[in-house]
Amino acid sequence: MSLEHVVGLGIVLFAIGAAGFFIRSNTVVLLLCIEVMLNAVNLILAGFSRFLHGAEGQVFIFMIMTVAAAEAAVGLAILVALYRLLKTLDMSRINVLKG
Amino acid sequence: MTESILFWGLALAAVASALCVVVLRNPVNCVMALLAAMLATAGLYALMGATVAALFQVIVYIGAVLVLFLFVIMLLNLKGPATGIPRTPAAVAVSAAAVGLTAGMAWLGWRAMNLSIPAGAGAGLRTEPGVTAIALELFSRHLLVFELTSVLLLAAAVGAVFITRKEKEAS
Repeated sequence: MSLEHVVGLGIVLFAIGAAGFFIRSNTVVLLLCIEVMLNAVNLILAGFSRFLHGAEGQVFIFMIMTVAAAEAAVGLAILVALYRLLKTLDMSRINVLKG
Repeated sequence: MTESILFWGLALAAVASALCVVVLRNPVNCVMALLAAMLATAGLYALMGATVAALFQVIVYIGAVLVLFLFVIMLLNLKGPATGIPRTPAAVAVSAAAVGLTAGMAWLGWRAMNLSIPAGAGAGLRTEPGVTAIALELFSRHLLVFELTSVLLLAAAVGAVFITRKEKEAS
C-alpha cells in the first residue's frame, strides 16, 4: 500500500460516483452518488495525511463529513418537498423549475 | 504482507459496492450498497492509522446520514417501476463522456501529484497523527473554520425544516 494506490482507488471511486450521477434518473440515487464522490475525496485526504505525516488531512475529513451531513439534510428536504409537489422522484419527469 | 492483503480486499469491496450503488434498481438496495462501501472505507481509514476518521465515518455517515436516507425512502413510499440505468444510446454516450471526463481530471491530478510531491516528502516527520495532534490542529489553526461549520449545520437544519413545511401553513 502506497500513496499511489490510495489515490488511484480514490480516483476510481470518484469516477464511479460521477458516472452514476450522470446516468441515473432517481434523485435519491443521485444524492447517494454525491456521497460516493465525497467519500472518495475523503479517502484521498486520509491517504495524504498518512503518507505525508500530517494531521491536516484528517481535519479536512472532519470538515467534509460535516458538509456532507448538511448537504444530505438539505438535499433530502428538497426531495421531500419535490415529491409532495410532483408525486415523482424521476429526473426525466421533473421538468419545471418553479415551485 | 498482511497490510497489502487487507488493502486490496477492502479496495475491492469498496469498488464493488460503489458499482452496486450505481447499478442496482431499488433505492433501498443502493443505500445498503453504499453502507458496505462506507464500511470498507472505514476499514481503509483504520488501516492507514486514521482511527478518528474511521470512527467518524461509522458514527456520522453510517449512523446518521445513511439512516436519514433510509428514513426518507421509507417515508416517501415510492411506487411505480424502479428505474435502473437507461439503455438508450444517449445514456450510453453520457456515461462514457462522464467516465472520460473524470479520467481526464484524474490524469491531470495524478500528473500534478507526481510533479508536486518530491520523493520522500514528510520523511522527517515520523509521528502518526493521533487524536491529540488532530484536536490541536482543529482547535488552533482551524478554529474559525470549525466555528463556521457549526453555523453551516444550524443553517442546514433550519433550511431543511423550512423547505419541508406544509404549504398551507406558510401563508
